[in-house]
Amino acid sequence: MMQSDNQNRDGHTTRAHAGAVQLPAPTIWPIVFAFGLALIFTGMVTHWIMSLLGALLVIPGIVGWFLEVLPREHHVYVPVSAEIIPVVGTHTTGAQRPAGPNHRKLLPIETFSITAGIKGGLAGGTAMIVPAALYGLIRYHSTWYAVNLLAAGGFVSWAGESDAFLAQFHPLGLLAATGIHTTASLLIGLLYGAMLPMFPRKPIVSAGFIAPFLWTGLLYSALGVISPILDRRINWLWFVISQIAFGLVAGFVVNRQVKVRTAQFQALPFAVRAGLHTSAKDEGPDHP
Amino acid sequence: MAKEAPVLEAIDQTAPASHSSGPGVVYEWLTTVDHKKIGIMYIVYALIFLVLAGAQALLMRIQLAVPNNHFVTPQVFNRLFTMHGSTMVFFVGIPILFGFGNYLIPLMIGARDMAFPRLNAFSFWISAFGGILLYLSYFAGSGLYGAGSAPDVGWFAYAPLTAKVFSPGHSTDYWTLSILMSGIGTTGTAINIVATVICMRCKGMTMTRMPLLVWLLLVTSCMVFVAVSPLTAAQIMLTLDRYLGSHFFDTQAGGSAVLWMHFFWIFGHPEVYILVLPAFAFINEIVPVFSRKAIFGYSAMVAASVGIGFISLSVWAHHMFTVGMGPAGNTFFVFATMVVSVPTGIKMFNWLATIWGGRVRFRTPMMFAIGFLFQFLMAGLTGIMLSAAPFDWQLSASYFVVAHFHYVLVGGILFALFAAFYYWYPKITGRMMSETLGKWHFWLFIIGFHLTFDFMHIPGLLGMPRRIYTYEAGRGWEYWNLIVGIGAMVQAIGTLIFVYNLVHSYFRGKIAGPDPWDAWTLEWSTASPPPSYNFAVEPNVGSRRPLWDLKHPEDPDSSYE
Ligand SMILES: [Cu+2]
Repeated sequence: MMQSDNQNRDGHTTRAHAGAVQLPAPTIWPIVFAFGLALIFTGMVTHWIMSLLGALLVIPGIVGWFLEVLPREHHVYVPVSAEIIPVVGTHTTGAQRPAGPNHRKLLPIETFSITAGIKGGLAGGTAMIVPAALYGLIRYHSTWYAVNLLAAGGFVSWAGESDAFLAQFHPLGLLAATGIHTTASLLIGLLYGAMLPMFPRKPIVSAGFIAPFLWTGLLYSALGVISPILDRRINWLWFVISQIAFGLVAGFVVNRQVKVRTAQFQALPFAVRAGLHTSAKDEGPDHP
Repeated sequence: MAKEAPVLEAIDQTAPASHSSGPGVVYEWLTTVDHKKIGIMYIVYALIFLVLAGAQALLMRIQLAVPNNHFVTPQVFNRLFTMHGSTMVFFVGIPILFGFGNYLIPLMIGARDMAFPRLNAFSFWISAFGGILLYLSYFAGSGLYGAGSAPDVGWFAYAPLTAKVFSPGHSTDYWTLSILMSGIGTTGTAINIVATVICMRCKGMTMTRMPLLVWLLLVTSCMVFVAVSPLTAAQIMLTLDRYLGSHFFDTQAGGSAVLWMHFFWIFGHPEVYILVLPAFAFINEIVPVFSRKAIFGYSAMVAASVGIGFISLSVWAHHMFTVGMGPAGNTFFVFATMVVSVPTGIKMFNWLATIWGGRVRFRTPMMFAIGFLFQFLMAGLTGIMLSAAPFDWQLSASYFVVAHFHYVLVGGILFALFAAFYYWYPKITGRMMSETLGKWHFWLFIIGFHLTFDFMHIPGLLGMPRRIYTYEAGRGWEYWNLIVGIGAMVQAIGTLIFVYNLVHSYFRGKIAGPDPWDAWTLEWSTASPPPSYNFAVEPNVGSRRPLWDLKHPEDPDSSYE
């Protein structure tokens, strides 16, 4: 076996005792100690005599345990069986299917890093402010409306406030909205980044159009319970528009990032890695 | 026992000792420090409690199957739900997962034992005695109701119900003290796992080459430190209240009942993840082997697990939305809770990407794993619903919540555990479990599970509170509860088949050989069952799939990582 070669070279096998392995010796003291402790507790719900008995057991338990490891840890030597176990599938479970040609080849050769997703999320979050502010400006003549509406998810007391109130500037509202929006953008970016290796081809399409509609559909059904106040006032058309703005910018930013090479890349022939030959690009990446 | 004996003498003594019978075998198991034997004891002990607590669940479902039922008395019913919950969490969930961890971690990282073998034995025994003490309350208690006085304050034992005035006698003390003991054992094993993973890895087993199971148990163990300490502190405070008359949770004397809730749920929520991360760990090992593909996104999986570990420490008060924490508190815990779905979503996608394009073998472990994936997704969705405070105000303490967390615990964790049993049983015993019985078990259990827990959501939505003893007819609850009860029976039959399979296969199962699944992690490179020293020579690994490398020297993983 390959392992034994390595072992012998490093002299790491079984110390001084050839053919035997040194293992910690079995010992009664841990269970004695545990039983003593258990009896102390049992005495608290039955009779104090039990606790006394427990204390009497705990002491030898501790002493015995100490002597087990001090001054020197006790060992036993267990003989090693000479049988060498071959590392092959034993086929005892019937037909073993081979791993198949794609057993580790579903990763693309190059993909975007997770950081790319986070950058995209932050950029998209910034871009999303534009349609949101536009919406507030057109409908309520105030850029602060959308900000306060988002913040209202955090302030239950704002639930009954008028449109006029929400159209005013509130420092606390800006603070809360900034917090919620930044966290949400970061997290969506993170999730997006983690999913990028699964569809790395067209980030602008997937982020700009497919994701907004999926996400809006999900939120449409759930918003009533997440933030009732937002649910009552939200304008879904503008919401989809701002989602698309988020997605397009996020996708654009991701697309501009340099792709990182996955582990797959290292498996390619040198000629391909050096850029002299490109044919492997077709067989290497992606799905069967 | 031979200590420091010369080699030959040791060989002469140890060899016959392992063949001895009767008292010799018992003494061997009582004194063992072998991680595999301790792991097996953890698992067997937890299985016994699983059957006990499962029987308690059946009794409750019989009681609730029809309206105005008096199958058990109200007092017995209160004890049943308290004991069922406490047992399942503290004496089934934690020990069975730590049992698998104990058994598998040294084998997977190429070590000969845990870092602290004696602490390992102690931790197991103190937990085991804790469980025995809890059940002793049925016989030896000096409580309110006369003969026996099992705890009846619910598994989270809210103050002030646990105060001496409202819970006289010792029933609550049995609960407190046994949980305290379980906490000592849990912390001991967690220390052991962390030290083992950090210090005992074989050559070449860098942190980034460790099997994901090892990574997840490392995260779990770190969470145990943070989560179990507040619980232990709270149990000590409650003991002081009840024995020495302190007033930590005594509201009339200036104590705080909400303080208990915070302490309990700072433990209680991470506990869910302490239980679910090992379940993820099993799935991480089983899904690739039965898809014949390497795990997709190893580093993302590790990052997501660590992320879940951190986030789950900051969401506990979502169990307390009805307390009235105010808008700021509620909002924080709503968002923190929803954030957990991000790393969990990453894991879900990675599992699907691992299966996608693989050559899937639908053996029993894989079927349970796929059941896990589907049901955990569903449980996550009802979890997101409940994480919204306004929704929770409506449904807190209803059967909707009960259905949700049983979806996590049974549909998720228990399914993953069953998968783990079918997958590692051949390694632990040397024999295969019956595939036919396994399929019967799977289909009966999944049908029973969905009958019970899908339909349990409905009486919850219709306003049925949890923990009620019985109910009037005509509220629209009775048919749903009957279906739920029938489902529970079907699950029980499935579980009996499983237990029969475990016992039967031990004596009659097909011989497994070292590597029956054609798997890739180190535990399959040694004999089944492994010898006490695990590996005759210390392994040396070059990638995350060391056995792949050995089986395919022409195309090893090591040139990809
Ligand atoms: Cu929780």
